[in-house]
Amino acid sequence: MIPAVSRRSILLGTAAASVSSILPAAGASEGFNFGLTPLFLDNDIELLAMVERYLTKRLERPIALIKRRTYHEISAMLLSGQLDAAWICDDPYVQYQDKLALLAVPLYRHKPLYQTYVIVNDSNSAQSFDDIRGTVHAFSDPDSTSGYLVTRWMLALRQTTPARFFRDSFFTYGHRNVIRAVGAGLAQSGSIDGYVWEVMTEREPELVRRTRIVFKSEWLGFPPIVTPMVIRDMPAVKALGAALLDMPTDPLGQKILSVLALDGFTTGTPDMYESTKEKWLIVKAQV
Amino acid sequence: MSRFPRLPAWPLTLKVPLLVAALMIAVAVIISQIVLTRLVKDQETNLTLLANAYLDGLSAAVLPAVIRGDVWETFDVLDRARGQYSGVEARYAIVELPDGSVLAASDPTSFPIHSPVPAELRSKFLNKDGLVINDDVGRAWLTRGLRAEGFSVGQILAEIDIASLLRIRSQVVLTLILVNGALAIAFSLIGYFAVKHMLQPLGVLSRYVERAREGRVEPIPERYRKKVASEFGQLFDRFNAMARAVSDRETLASHLAEQDKYAMLGRLASGMAHEVNNPLGGMMNAIDTIQSHSEDPEVLSKSLDFLKRGLAGIRNVVRAALVTYKGGSDTSLLTPTELDDLPFLVQHETGVRRLRLDWRNRVPEPLAIDGPAVRQITLNLLLNACAASPFGGAVAVEASRSDGALRIAVSDEGPGLPQDMAALLTSAGRIAAPSRESKGLGLWTTGNLIKRLNGVAAVERRETGTRIVVTLPVKTEAARHAA
Repeated sequence: MIPAVSRRSILLGTAAASVSSILPAAGASEGFNFGLTPLFLDNDIELLAMVERYLTKRLERPIALIKRRTYHEISAMLLSGQLDAAWICDDPYVQYQDKLALLAVPLYRHKPLYQTYVIVNDSNSAQSFDDIRGTVHAFSDPDSTSGYLVTRWMLALRQTTPARFFRDSFFTYGHRNVIRAVGAGLAQSGSIDGYVWEVMTEREPELVRRTRIVFKSEWLGFPPIVTPMVIRDMPAVKALGAALLDMPTDPLGQKILSVLALDGFTTGTPDMYESTKEKWLIVKAQV
Repeated sequence: MSRFPRLPAWPLTLKVPLLVAALMIAVAVIISQIVLTRLVKDQETNLTLLANAYLDGLSAAVLPAVIRGDVWETFDVLDRARGQYSGVEARYAIVELPDGSVLAASDPTSFPIHSPVPAELRSKFLNKDGLVINDDVGRAWLTRGLRAEGFSVGQILAEIDIASLLRIRSQVVLTLILVNGALAIAFSLIGYFAVKHMLQPLGVLSRYVERAREGRVEPIPERYRKKVASEFGQLFDRFNAMARAVSDRETLASHLAEQDKYAMLGRLASGMAHEVNNPLGGMMNAIDTIQSHSEDPEVLSKSLDFLKRGLAGIRNVVRAALVTYKGGSDTSLLTPTELDDLPFLVQHETGVRRLRLDWRNRVPEPLAIDGPAVRQITLNLLLNACAASPFGGAVAVEASRSDGALRIAVSDEGPGLPQDMAALLTSAGRIAAPSRESKGLGLWTTGNLIKRLNGVAAVERRETGTRIVVTLPVKTEAARHAA
């Protein structure tokens, strides 16, 4: 898996900006590179093994699951043709909507939607978003909608920035890490994916117990599985879309969905992400 | 004055185990000190090694994040390192930036990011790489500088809980005390029983020596001889040799005493012959007178009276000699007459030396006591007094009864009884027989007789002469009848 990626990285790295660089890897019969951004199960080896097994079976070719520490790395690899598809956050999707095609959108509680939560350490007295002023704030990732964009947008609405609003802030590059940072008291407040917080409430209650929600955003389009626009019609890519949509009907797929606490996948439409895009534009305008 | 007897006076069975216990305690204390000192040193060395391993791992992991000033990554490393290093129980770890502020700490609540490290806490740590150990509070403080390309980018400060090390020390101390205490007790007991066993032959020897002191000189039986070590075997052999020698000497002394008795008898016999011979001349004259003046009734009567007195005197002397040397008297009774015979036996001695014999027999009635033995005791003392007294001196004998005892006091005007001779009479224990050459067989026999009758003798030295008082217990009437 790694040599294949390395080889591809070397080949494509020399001509990253060229058209050939975004030519599909999926065109090659020998494999399929699928990128994953760190959600909450960033170290779940068993889940990754199940996903790899399921997709290998369905796509009838070797699947390489590519993980990187930041969203940006995955986005860059996707845009530079190093990945055939990736599960990315909705923020990068709206940023590169013209270059990326939606393959599938997860269904969480039977809807392709999720929320952003702003949480505080249980010992903190904050009751609303405005109460977290002056705290040390933990963001997840600069390209994360829930872990950065929504809070950034809230601050933009208040004509302020994280540097002015918070005493201090830092990125943890993982929603689970935001919970750890806030729970441990490293940060007093944090921005997090509501889906991750809810799932972790059930799976790691001891960790989540030390945090409390002070703000929930509106419902937003769930982070989608996307593919470079140029290869969206390739058989392997289509097979991936079909495999995701069929997941609830397959025993292994059901297991994967169970671990992810999702109900299945649906074919999304770009308009589901209008709200996200609107927020990104506002933030972008401020910067 | 000490309440306890001096150590040398204590029995060996106590002294040896005590000495063993004292030595064990001394050895235990020294060994414990060595072990503990070594343990403390080893623990500190191990702690330093473990702490260095901990800091090596931590600093390598945290350095890239510190260079970037990445709060989360630094915290993540510190948080994950917690409990990952066996042997190092870090209570907290802080990454301090060169400006003295906290980049991140494993306990962010106590040490918030970008706040200064508390001065009081900072003073516990060295300003250079190293370890400070405080056993009293069970803590150690580590400092490790973080450098990149020769520049200091911060340092790690960590507080280590060393309670487990101190607990091990306490357990070692407890183990040492228990093991050494048990060993000291065990060795003391072994010492006690071993010494007791080793000294058993001494007990046997002591028993036989005590018997000898009581007059029963017996050799130690062979069965004891076989059981003991060679040193004690030799001792037993020497004791047995001594016992045999004493026994031989006793036999010899008895023979000598017997011979002495007959020698004395000879002397007495010659004295008696003299006593018999003296009246014989007068008696022959009386017979002649009777023959020549048989018609004169007055002369006849006087002569016959004279003859009667002379014969009575001879009869007394002969009877006394018979009673003394032929036996036949009742050994459970002493009649006053039996004592009163004695002056007749010494008539010759007193007569030759012109001694005045003051004889006072105040015993009013027969006494329940061995009569022949009492006569022998009194006669021997009387003869001794006569022999010791100067020519024309006075010898006094007084027999009386008081408080259930017969008291016989014999005094003379001699030069005084020598100490060793007096001891033959007065010694409470067994009396060694005098050697063949020495005198005093009569006194030795007398001393033995006194002891046989459970009596005591006292020798009083006066300005002139010696007074010997013998006190002999007399059985009560009831006891005598019962006997």
